[in-house]
Amino acid sequence: MSKIDRRDFLKGCGVAAIAAGSSSRAFAYVAPPDIGPAAATNDTLVIVFLRGAMDGLSLLPPGASSPYRADYVAARSNTIIPVSGTGAALPLNGTTWALHPRASKLRDLYNQNRLAFIVGAGQAQPIPVIRSHFDAQANLEFGFGGGTGNNVGWLTRHLISGGLPAVVPLPATSFGSITSSSLLGSSDAITMASASDYRLDGFHWSWDDVDQDVPGLVGAVSRMNSLWNGNATLLESAGVETLASLDLLRPINFGLYHATNNPGGYQPTGGANYDIEYNQDFADQLRNIAQIIKLNLGMRIATIDLGSWDTHVGQGNPTQSYDWFGNMVSSLSDGLSAFYTDLASSGAGNLMNKTSVIVVSEFGRRVQENADSGTDHGYGNVMLALGGSVNGGQVYGSIPGLGTAQLYQGTDVAVTTDYRRIISEALIRRMANPNIYYVFPGYSGYTPMGVFQGPDLPPVGYDQIFAHGFEGPG
Amino acid sequence: MAAAPASAAFIESRRRLFSALFSSVGVADHELALRRPGRDGLRDKDLPQSPAALSFPPAPMRWLTRATMGYTTQAYLDFAALGANDDARWTAWVTQQLNPASINDSGCNTRLASAGFTTLNKTANQLWTQHHAVTNDYYVRMLPISECECATLIRQIYSQRQLYEVMVDFWHDHFSVFGWDYDGGPMFPAFDRDAIRPHVFGNFRSMLQAVGESASMMYMLDLYSSEAAHPNENYARELFELHTMGAEHYGGIVQNPDSFANMTLLGHYTAPDGEEERLKYVDDDVYETARALTGWTISGANWPYDPINGVPLGQFVYDSSRHDQGIKRILARYFQASQGQTDGIVLFDMLARHPSTAKHMAGKLCRRFVGANPSNALIDNVASVFQQSWQASDQIKQVMQVILQSAEFKTGWGTAMKRPALSAVSALRATGADFTLKPDNNGSIYTPTEEFRGRLQAAGHRLFYWPAPNGYPDDQVAWSSTGTLGMTLRMLPRLLEMHQTESYNDGYPFLVDVQGQTLAAFPANQRTAATVMGYWCDRILGYRPEPTYTVAVDMLRQNASAGDVLNLATNSWNANNLSMHYTQARLRTAISLILCSPEFLRR
Repeated sequence: MSKIDRRDFLKGCGVAAIAAGSSSRAFAYVAPPDIGPAAATNDTLVIVFLRGAMDGLSLLPPGASSPYRADYVAARSNTIIPVSGTGAALPLNGTTWALHPRASKLRDLYNQNRLAFIVGAGQAQPIPVIRSHFDAQANLEFGFGGGTGNNVGWLTRHLISGGLPAVVPLPATSFGSITSSSLLGSSDAITMASASDYRLDGFHWSWDDVDQDVPGLVGAVSRMNSLWNGNATLLESAGVETLASLDLLRPINFGLYHATNNPGGYQPTGGANYDIEYNQDFADQLRNIAQIIKLNLGMRIATIDLGSWDTHVGQGNPTQSYDWFGNMVSSLSDGLSAFYTDLASSGAGNLMNKTSVIVVSEFGRRVQENADSGTDHGYGNVMLALGGSVNGGQVYGSIPGLGTAQLYQGTDVAVTTDYRRIISEALIRRMANPNIYYVFPGYSGYTPMGVFQGPDLPPVGYDQIFAHGFEGPG
Repeated sequence: MAAAPASAAFIESRRRLFSALFSSVGVADHELALRRPGRDGLRDKDLPQSPAALSFPPAPMRWLTRATMGYTTQAYLDFAALGANDDARWTAWVTQQLNPASINDSGCNTRLASAGFTTLNKTANQLWTQHHAVTNDYYVRMLPISECECATLIRQIYSQRQLYEVMVDFWHDHFSVFGWDYDGGPMFPAFDRDAIRPHVFGNFRSMLQAVGESASMMYMLDLYSSEAAHPNENYARELFELHTMGAEHYGGIVQNPDSFANMTLLGHYTAPDGEEERLKYVDDDVYETARALTGWTISGANWPYDPINGVPLGQFVYDSSRHDQGIKRILARYFQASQGQTDGIVLFDMLARHPSTAKHMAGKLCRRFVGANPSNALIDNVASVFQQSWQASDQIKQVMQVILQSAEFKTGWGTAMKRPALSAVSALRATGADFTLKPDNNGSIYTPTEEFRGRLQAAGHRLFYWPAPNGYPDDQVAWSSTGTLGMTLRMLPRLLEMHQTESYNDGYPFLVDVQGQTLAAFPANQRTAATVMGYWCDRILGYRPEPTYTVAVDMLRQNASAGDVLNLATNSWNANNLSMHYTQARLRTAISLILCSPEFLRR
């Protein structure tokens, strides 16, 4: 086995890459990270991406005594969250913001000081207010402050610079069919839509794998490795990586426990119930993440999506039976609650103390409702932070207001907290990775908001070349 | 907060855990870690797409793989009969394929008829009243998209008009519609049949307007609800960003974009009528375009849901009462007031003939056939032909000729990979499957159609299932992720194991008659591992690359040698002589290893 230590390997790559100039590695390695494994933590960070631009003003509307309530009521009618009667918003301790009534489990976590909200959060970019979902998602996930840079995601840069030990079975997972852009370029991540489906079992049973009763039988699953034994091209190396991922997860039973049908399956602890009314895939994937965390495979990062939140038409509201948005909220609330309970009550102790969840969306939605009982693309939004090491029970950040004069370009909630500030705080205080300016080239001026517990580290990785943002190749 | 223990004791305890977990696999456990010494966390994307050492199939196999929904021996034999040498044959093949009406497709048509589809020929009005109006039976409501999905797959597998089906697939990705939208799904056959298919080798300008007028696209991008009081930007934005000029020609938010300074900055060109138009679009163009297209709607789609101007429900109608009649400026062109529907007509003309559109479309078309990095020379050549023939009824045909006769197309290989649906379809083609996909409403029987659609969905590539208007990605980076490639490798062997009627019921014949085809290919005394797997490599790949051929031979022969005659009739337990152990299943498994090889997935 190779004796090269990871840091030497990286340095070697860095030198060669700078010499080579324009390869994708060159851009990733211009600011070589230098933090040793002993300093990093083995916390897990879960990024929940609400695809399609979640309406933060409906998830966290101004409450009855909020100074913004009047402007909110003037702008919203068919999508309004009332403060009394059927479908009334849930009051939150210590703030005039309120919570969508179908997020009662999130309210419980908030009252236990484990959940925090950040208002007026979003992407503050040199060209403001990207209205395209694809562009906004790409900007956020690549993390170059705009554009796709060299197509390497911010989480990939965190994993490279975050002091992973030399051997980690499963550093990251991306839940979905196609790799999340934030993990693009990473060889540390497995991408899968369903952990229990992620296995090679298409062959006839008689010849698929090792059979204890048939000595010497070498099945197709093993022989696949002989087909994909090179690294000569992108396709070959992808195949090798895929087979390695499949091998890694093969022995694990990701199905839900059932006394007769699946006695070896996974049993959530603490009474956690992953059976949710809508978007069951989301809950199943959260359950997979919890199981992987409990298995101690070293997973530092998981990405998961919940969408679509793109409610241009017929958003609904909680005072009536048609409440499309509320259905999505209930999925977020019930799913995250099950996840929290499951990990907090694990046999190995409260694993939520070393697990943090950040919920983000590409932008918010316009304050003024549209003529189709929906909302259009906006700007500032709400982020969530959930975990045992989160200073919850508070709403962080602020907005200038919801009156026309206080809105960005007269139409949108302003962005007063850069999303990178929240994520960077998690990277520093939870993951002990100070290389936030390497993770987010072009970002500067970080200070913690206090959302996460943990020691502060001076942020590093700032590179003169990226002082004004990352240009990227071509 | 615990520090990551990198001590030897930690690593050793992990080793013990994994030895316990993975002992049955028998692989050294540190190789099962994604992060291990020598792996630094960054995927190397600069690996060559097509290095010299790569195994190259012969030219006809490469060309047919890239221009059809999957190479087959029959396709090669038909090709070989077309001329005296490969180049002459290719020219004849391309010309023939670009004239699909001249190709006899009775076999495919017979199969389509046998499926018993009922919705595919319904008019928009019939789809509207018989399916879109149905709210208490989801199966009936969505039957049109369900049948269209099945019919499309049948055509991809069985049609002789292969290049046509390749381009149908391209245009559906380009004008991507989520087929299972509650409103757009019941109308989908009209979109496929009337907006896409008639124009596949025809005229982009015609296709552009037909797509915009189609109910499925109207619902996808909310154009049906756009009116003067509240213009809807969604379609207008995607019209620029995706359908015509492309996001690479976005100029951003620019104040006063038509000023002399900004025209210079953003670039401009002289349109055929002498007007200057900007080469890049800005946000104002999107807003103005939304205004220009107000009133373009579907009869019955808006309250009070009655027919508009006597147009039957479900059909396109221009409703002047919803149109913004004011003046507009788009790409610096002045649109005078009160032009009604002409606003949209002029707009489509502008976009279809625009050089930025030609550039964007040329890039996409080249990438589909040549791979991730077509040369600028090829793209510029294609763009030039696209733009110059913008009014020609055979515009796309002309463009296809340029691409398919280019040196880059003919000499390239391995610059792209098959996406999951193509890998499945080409597997079924190459192995001679008998698979008539059709929907059914029987919840208790798990049909092969259901399994096939489910597995494509798990691989991330079910037809008409991409939720966003930008369509499925067309690059290797997206499709070589562990998830989608893993699920593809899971799906492909199943194709040889699936049964007719009830997928897991071995009382029914297989979709693919491996046994019959193999026995028919050789007399009994020639059925050796070498000949049989050579035959199947030829069927599936057109050649016998290593290590794939040897891996397949070894799988079949077991303890026999490659030249020993095998008894392919047996299929039972024989642990003492593995060359006799479930031989028929072993034969299918060996063939599926070919399907799971990098050579099969390469383009």
